[in-house]
Amino acid sequence: MGVTEELLAAQAEGLAAIEQAADLAALAAVRVAYLGKKGTLTAVLRGLGGLSAEERPAVGKVANEVRAALEAALAKRHEALSSAALEARLASEAVDVTLPGRAHPIGSRHLISRITAQVVEIFLGLGYRVAEGPEVELDYYNFTALNTPPDHPARSLADTFYVRDLSGDEAAVSGESDVLLRTQTSPVQVRTMEREKPPIYVLSPGRVYRRDIADPSHLPQFTQIEGLVVDEGITFADLKGTLDHFVHRMFGPDRKTRFRPHFFPFTEPSAEVDVSCGICDGAGCRFCKNSGWLEILGCGMVDPNVFGHVGIDSERYTGFAFGMGVERIAALKYNVPDLRMLVEGDMRFLRQF
Amino acid sequence: MRVSMSWLTELVDVGVPARELAERLDMTGTAVEAVHETGESLDGVVVGHILTRERHPEADKLWVTTVDVGDGTLRTIVCGAQNFDAGDKVPVALPGAVLPGGLEIKKAKLRGVVSEGMNCSARELGIGEDHEGLMILPPDAPVGVPFAEWYGAGDTVLELEITPNRPDCLSMAGVAREVGAVLGVPAKVPASQPVESGEEAAAACSVTITDADLCPRYAARIIRGVKVAPSPAWLADKVAAAGARPINNVVDVTNYVMFELGQPLHAFDLDKLAADSNGRVAITVRTARSGETLRTLDGVDRQLRSDTLLICDSSGPVALAGVMGGESTEVSETTVDVLLESACFDPASISRTSRSLGLVSEASMRFERTVDRTGCVAALDRAAALIAEVAGGQVAPGVVDEYPAPLQPRLLTLRLARVRGVLGIDLGAEEVAGILRSLGCDVEMGPESLQVTVPSFRPDIEREIDLIEEVLRIWGMERVEPTLPGGRGRIGMLTREQSLRERIGDVMRACGLNETMTYAFGDPRDPERCCMPFAEGELPVELLNPMSTEQAVLRRSLLPGLLASVSYNQRRGVSDVHLYEMGSVFWTSEGRKQPKERTMLAGVLAGAWHPPAWNAPAVPLDFFDGKGVIENLFRELAIPKLRVRACDAGHLQPGRAAEVLAGGEVLGWLGEVHPAVLERFEAHAPVVAFELDVRALVRLAADARPFVEPPRHPAVELDLAIVVDESVTAEEVERAIRSAGGKLLAETHLFDVYRGNGVEMGKKSLAFALEYRVPDRTLTAQEVESAHERLVRKVTTSVGGTLRS
Repeated sequence: MGVTEELLAAQAEGLAAIEQAADLAALAAVRVAYLGKKGTLTAVLRGLGGLSAEERPAVGKVANEVRAALEAALAKRHEALSSAALEARLASEAVDVTLPGRAHPIGSRHLISRITAQVVEIFLGLGYRVAEGPEVELDYYNFTALNTPPDHPARSLADTFYVRDLSGDEAAVSGESDVLLRTQTSPVQVRTMEREKPPIYVLSPGRVYRRDIADPSHLPQFTQIEGLVVDEGITFADLKGTLDHFVHRMFGPDRKTRFRPHFFPFTEPSAEVDVSCGICDGAGCRFCKNSGWLEILGCGMVDPNVFGHVGIDSERYTGFAFGMGVERIAALKYNVPDLRMLVEGDMRFLRQF
Repeated sequence: MRVSMSWLTELVDVGVPARELAERLDMTGTAVEAVHETGESLDGVVVGHILTRERHPEADKLWVTTVDVGDGTLRTIVCGAQNFDAGDKVPVALPGAVLPGGLEIKKAKLRGVVSEGMNCSARELGIGEDHEGLMILPPDAPVGVPFAEWYGAGDTVLELEITPNRPDCLSMAGVAREVGAVLGVPAKVPASQPVESGEEAAAACSVTITDADLCPRYAARIIRGVKVAPSPAWLADKVAAAGARPINNVVDVTNYVMFELGQPLHAFDLDKLAADSNGRVAITVRTARSGETLRTLDGVDRQLRSDTLLICDSSGPVALAGVMGGESTEVSETTVDVLLESACFDPASISRTSRSLGLVSEASMRFERTVDRTGCVAALDRAAALIAEVAGGQVAPGVVDEYPAPLQPRLLTLRLARVRGVLGIDLGAEEVAGILRSLGCDVEMGPESLQVTVPSFRPDIEREIDLIEEVLRIWGMERVEPTLPGGRGRIGMLTREQSLRERIGDVMRACGLNETMTYAFGDPRDPERCCMPFAEGELPVELLNPMSTEQAVLRRSLLPGLLASVSYNQRRGVSDVHLYEMGSVFWTSEGRKQPKERTMLAGVLAGAWHPPAWNAPAVPLDFFDGKGVIENLFRELAIPKLRVRACDAGHLQPGRAAEVLAGGEVLGWLGEVHPAVLERFEAHAPVVAFELDVRALVRLAADARPFVEPPRHPAVELDLAIVVDESVTAEEVERAIRSAGGKLLAETHLFDVYRGNGVEMGKKSLAFALEYRVPDRTLTAQEVESAHERLVRKVTTSVGGTLRS
């Protein structure tokens, strides 16, 4: 057998061995067996020295072709085997993707502060600022400056929490003290009007207190958000537009509002605002007690007497004020059946929101 | 205020269905709380005649009655009412009837006796409030006739909520006027003039008012020779429709006229009032003298306060002015001559009396809200005429009318420009005038403004703005086109403190804490229970009228409320609790009026962050979980120098108690709550807690941390394990490392604390990972080596430790 034939036989053998190599280790062994220092091809090439100068180029060419063919086959087989090996490894690493993830639990925001923040955001967008004030207030700011008559039942010990006054002042009202837990956030508005000149656009969210026994629909402590605008040219139409906007942002663009005249000591004219029931869309259902409407806000034009108390010229400026109970909105939006859940700190309740 | 539609339609031509009227009233400021249909659902209720009444053999309070309902068979009906006798006629609901409350009547055994129906009260039939006993019908009521047919039921009753500014609507005539204005139709004012005869009223009585502020008017009439008896059906019905219990013809007339015209009236039995030798009664209106008492109509002896306004005869008090009459002078079956009072009293005085005695009557409720004093005599005339009509008798000529403080008519100017300026709507002068006239105002037109005379029955209309409100109300709020305020430039934004508070909440939640809200009230025993005593000079804020002794003060710390929540959860099997609250705490001191308030942030952690998971065990929470939360918070608020320093605090477990400091200032505390404290709150240890002063956090927070370029050159990392006494803190060692490391040491990080094998008792090994690096070049091995050797030497010397081999 001539050298050329030997080369071609080695090629055929080699290609077969490559094809049969089952894994990367076997393939490496085939490479060594044919192309290694002691490999078949190397041995054949070593024999080239014995050939004549005329034969050598032709045989050399064949030898190179054989080497190239083996190299190519090795490379191809190597790629095939490595990707198979990778696939096998990846297959072995597959997980059940439906198993729960590994997350550090994130805390939730209390329903009341979540709603408060939503309301604040809506009014920030209308150019309001947020004003705050003390929760323990003076009778003057909570009642008198808000045009509440001296004998108004809301001032009674049955309705309002009074606090022991250590100043030694003679209490002018309600028997023992004129220091109380604010029953509304309106005192913040009075303080704002005392401190600042119009234009005033403020929102005052905060805790308020009334002597109600805690039951599914009452808490002695709850959250109110009031708004106040004092500027030139403010009209009842502006109040309507503002609250319409609020209701649409808060409850959805399809909800309707309804303004019913009402009476509050610190606004005139005053109104209660209803939003159309989201469950029956105004047709009447159990949730809205068949009226189609849910009461959510009280509002009105600031009474000139209130401006008088804080030294704002009621001829030049007009204004409006509105107030809402956050717990009520929570009950309406989330159907919370018992307000006491809001103060129990039950993790199973809090984590829902 | 209950408004019977059938009564209302006598006074004003309503012309729309009751539901629609209710809607119109709702939208013009008179809230309709409910609409009741009476009669409609009274199928199966008939007039019955009680023939016998015997005690139930098994129950003291029940009666067994035999009732004739006109169908030829007598029925046995068991009944719990006490106000009836055999022979009375009553409404009877037969089996199958469904009463307005939804109650379905069935044949049923009551304590062993079969009852074949129910004898009914007015309230059960939805036609009155009276529930004290059966509704006793007049003797002439026809047995067996459907009750609704006889009663003339099929009426609709509107329950109106009358706001305190509208006393005029506490009468049918006032409601009719309001309805007339709302619907744009005229309303009638009922009036009568009595036929007078006999001796002058002035001969029988005189009136003296000691204080015209407390009693601006007192008018009286005398009616002689009345025959007190049950009222005729029309009168009893009207009184019942308004929600009162028919009593007798004289009293019913006074109530009727009160409901009709809004003027409370009182009838005295003239013969029971003390008279002088000429038979003349001297009525005096004055406040009580010390020690005076009065037995009121309800049989209760009342101690009178010195500010209680009284109606007196020469012997003493005979009525609480405007609130309730006295028992000894009340009209009874034996009354022959009547003194009829129509007066007006100071609202505040009546309100005080009513409140101090806990006595609210239809009269006091009206006087509290102001009664129109100009109407006293008209009401008196009407009542006198009606008494004469239903009870016979002669009305004495003349009215004894003491009227020391006549009401002056109020004249207001209403500028049309102001109407536009406040409401944002354009109304013509004619339209505005028309609305005000429909409400009873006299209006004089001017070019720019209207001159308006306010009717006496509208004490609430005192200013121009009050007129504007009336115009808007009647014109219709719904018709106002909404706009948004124009105004000059304004920017809505949160203050720095407000937005930082938002951020603090964000961090708490990112750390896994859930926001909660607890009561601001506290138990006065909390400081003791928590071992958190008040600081020197600080006092708790005490409520004068708490809801309970457990809520008698305002909280000084958020901790007690949060511990109660931990306990609440644990008792319900929720062991992993992560809560935070941001809220006010309160304290005061001697001489302070308003207490101090401070916003605090507090958190409690108990159990583990999560229950055991397939890929993560549940790790019990401890001190360092709380500290981690605070570390994150300080990082996020960019407060640089957080320090946590061991301290003694009664509420915390010794050795797991720390103060939180920044820049030398104590911001609050952190630790594991003392087991003894937890026991008092029924909570299980361990509970990690912290409480920080939010204002201080806000003050120390930086807007941003300074930029530091990320390192470009590689670091050399070396570990250092050093064995020190237990008493040496990690902070001390770390400080020693930092000071010894100089400029070459970029980072240190404690990664292990080890006690046990190879480390002597009483000592611990602290292992730190050190990173040597300078910003501008790569350090050589030699530089690092010599720096590290120097560091080891210095640190071991300064903290008294040895290198762990």
